[in-house]
Amino acid sequence: MADAPKSTGRFISTNVEVEGRTETRIVEVPLFEPVPWGPDAQLTHVGARAVRTDGALKAGGHPGYTTDVRRPGQAYSAFVRATVPRGRITAIDVAAARALPGVLDVMVAADAPARARLFNTEITYTGQPIAAVCAITQRVADAAAKLVRAQVESLPFAVTVEQALDSVPVRPKIENNFVGGKPLVLERGDVAAALAAAEVTVTREVRTPCALHSAMEPHCAVAEWEGDRLTIWESTQGIYRVRDNVAKALGIPLTNVRVICEAMGGGFGAKNFAGAHTYVAALFAKRLGRAVACVVDREGEQVDTGNRPSSWQRITLGATRDGRLTAIDLEARIPIGVGGAEGGPGGIYHDLYACPNVRTVEKSAFVNTAAMSAFRAPGHAEGSVGLEVAMNALAHALGIDPLELRVRNIATRDQKKNRPYTGNRLAECYEEGARRIGWSERAATKAAAIKANARNAAGSRGEHLKRGYGVAAQVWSTGGGPPCYCNIRFNNDGTADVMAGSQDLGTGTRTILAQVAAEALGHTLDGVRAVIGDTASAPYAGNSWGSMTVASLAPAVRMAAEDARRSLLEAAAGMLGVAPGDLETRDGRVVVRDTDRSMSFAEVTAKLGNVMIQGQGSRGPNPQDAGIVTTGAQFAEVEVDTETGVVRVVRIVAVHDAGRIVNPTLAESQLEGGIIQGLGFALFEERRLDARFGLPLNVGLHDYKIPTHADMPVIDGHFLDGADPKANHVGVRGIAEPAIIPTAPAIVGAVADALGVEVNELPLTPWRVLGALRGD
Amino acid sequence: MNLSINGRPVAADVAGSTTLLELLRDSLALTGTKRACDRGECGACTVLIDNRPIYSCLTLANACDGRSVRTIEGLGAPGAPHALQSAFVAEDAAQCGFCTPGQLMAAAALLVENADPSDAEVVAAMSGNLCRCGTYPKIVRAVRRAAAMLREQGNG
Repeated sequence: MADAPKSTGRFISTNVEVEGRTETRIVEVPLFEPVPWGPDAQLTHVGARAVRTDGALKAGGHPGYTTDVRRPGQAYSAFVRATVPRGRITAIDVAAARALPGVLDVMVAADAPARARLFNTEITYTGQPIAAVCAITQRVADAAAKLVRAQVESLPFAVTVEQALDSVPVRPKIENNFVGGKPLVLERGDVAAALAAAEVTVTREVRTPCALHSAMEPHCAVAEWEGDRLTIWESTQGIYRVRDNVAKALGIPLTNVRVICEAMGGGFGAKNFAGAHTYVAALFAKRLGRAVACVVDREGEQVDTGNRPSSWQRITLGATRDGRLTAIDLEARIPIGVGGAEGGPGGIYHDLYACPNVRTVEKSAFVNTAAMSAFRAPGHAEGSVGLEVAMNALAHALGIDPLELRVRNIATRDQKKNRPYTGNRLAECYEEGARRIGWSERAATKAAAIKANARNAAGSRGEHLKRGYGVAAQVWSTGGGPPCYCNIRFNNDGTADVMAGSQDLGTGTRTILAQVAAEALGHTLDGVRAVIGDTASAPYAGNSWGSMTVASLAPAVRMAAEDARRSLLEAAAGMLGVAPGDLETRDGRVVVRDTDRSMSFAEVTAKLGNVMIQGQGSRGPNPQDAGIVTTGAQFAEVEVDTETGVVRVVRIVAVHDAGRIVNPTLAESQLEGGIIQGLGFALFEERRLDARFGLPLNVGLHDYKIPTHADMPVIDGHFLDGADPKANHVGVRGIAEPAIIPTAPAIVGAVADALGVEVNELPLTPWRVLGALRGD
Repeated sequence: MNLSINGRPVAADVAGSTTLLELLRDSLALTGTKRACDRGECGACTVLIDNRPIYSCLTLANACDGRSVRTIEGLGAPGAPHALQSAFVAEDAAQCGFCTPGQLMAAAALLVENADPSDAEVVAAMSGNLCRCGTYPKIVRAVRRAAAMLREQGNG
């Protein structure tokens, strides 16, 4: 199936969607585009439940994490952090820290190059790094950090949106505390007129919590200089971006910086850039002439490495009596911290349901808390809670089943850009999910559960356990896009290296790339190895964010493999005395079509010696006349104890349309992971702040609760079979973020269904549930 | 102080405040045991002392004098993984893999006590081991699969 190269204009301008934003980029059009693998393509490795290629390493205590890097003479560093939310450092005394045996160096604001933006005498949030210490062991560094004394002139601060909008600027270089200087208003149609004319309206207020990424591996970097060349090991979602950040901050050429990420212990959006820890490691390493590690401790991790900001949302919906949405109106307030910018909760209000009149007003404010950062489906995970709570209220007001209301309002087109989708099978997702959860039989199931509980509790107390069902849906741009490259090279034993400047966060990128390459080469899976996580060995790939990695990379990998395969066939044709067109590849062999004559890849490449078979691939532009999204629906079944207020999620059914699934096992792992994080968002997770002092209160994993084994529901995760050849020639879209979006709102809906009372402030802790039952 | 680590005698001279986790990772370069919170909240640093699971970040190294410590490096042998390791790979019970060594050691302790745990027993034994990627359902499946493999080996 090698396709003839067709010539095209090479560099064009195109639009790429990243985390809900549209960016215009120059794109290199590939020299040839393989024929798309449609839904009926006969594929061997793509679509198979291949075992994760680094699974055995991980089960053996993988030594490749940044926190495990041990360079000769490596020193360790620790941060000194501000203990007030706003102030000015008037003096800082590091003498006691320097005097501690084992301490090698101390850095304060004056020691850091200006462009590194490391440390500052202006304090703008509690937990802000104000100095760092380097020592021969982590223990000594931690002890020395506690000996640094700063004199701070405290200043007035704001930690809520209300305080911020009424306050002087909470940080330097801004005119007022609105992000962007004013509220962000996006409107299509005429919402005021549509609401005035609506046959039915409902209004709700919803609060979502500030949530912390809480990756198990903290942010960390190890830096080592060799002359003027710097190697950084970093736990990151973007090796190339860290390289760019570091070179710019230190004022050194890009070619002198190499970034390595062999294994990494989770990111979820918080590890997209170089951070203070990266610069501290690089600068100490330079000053001391030895390798230096900087691993953020758990308190620092929870306090200062990003968060999903809290939100307050007021939603008004207008509809006809037969349940067609005519207006959607949102006002939201979001305290984002001192910095950071990602999509707000308004995004999903424009996309998920068909509606001609939509207005979102986002009042995002800078406040004196740590900066936000992207956290798995930033904005959509929060916004979907408000939108779906309002949809449930509308269903109740109209006397229409909540699922039926959603089906009546499916958006069949990309409403923001007035174009079709390449594919959107949300209707099938609703249908399949409803079948799996038993939606239409739920009244009977609830009655049976009450009966069973009554029996189990000896007849007297069974009715305090209430069962409920909820449904919510999801849409998220998952088309990926350029630029993104892959090189493939055959070794002369027939094995192939697939080289891309990407990284594996735990999603399985290595495995997916190997599967796509093996498929297109006609190789065996174990004859192919993905070489990623090193800027020195592979061409550019973007950050692993925005559910973009597979949709961006897989087409580039396939193209590189087709290119290498073409060369391999040309070489083998001479050896076999036939034309290249008479040859095909399968299972690592070149086969003369319709004969039993063949050579293994190992034989062909051994004959070639050090003549190297290579392939180059790049990612072409997305279609501009259609939107590329993953959609899906999730259903929750919960049991609420009305005596204790405890919510137990019994079951989650998730059905999504994500195009072709390269590896169902890995896709299910991603889906379960998103659902479990969504469950935590709904029930447990909330960074608490003492507003009087601007202090975060729960900064460890004991007080900030993430889900554990005991909290698990039965999870039935399912992807519709299919491929999306209009999106790209591998037919793939993204999965990671779509998985989390509907979980919390489905649970919130199920709790309201169980209780007959809404609880619209998340997380749904026992005291909030009991408060709602009391009518507080 | 003398202790056994993965069946080998180790003589160590460490400060009184040194944790077992520091001894393993920093003195002995056994980095398979992960440091995720260093405050007894997550279970990533779980190792076995005399077959019982403990958080090595909360255990002083000197308290291990005369004891037998087993880490992830000693769970299987090179080329001969423990049934739990094989089952974790087969069930895709590791995503980022950072909590995985702790999960495996907690599971190993459970299987010493209980050769045929139910789902509820696995969940009860392992709820002190956090995973942010959300592999819990697959971990439970993997532990039960490993238990079945071990029972079969025992019977065979």
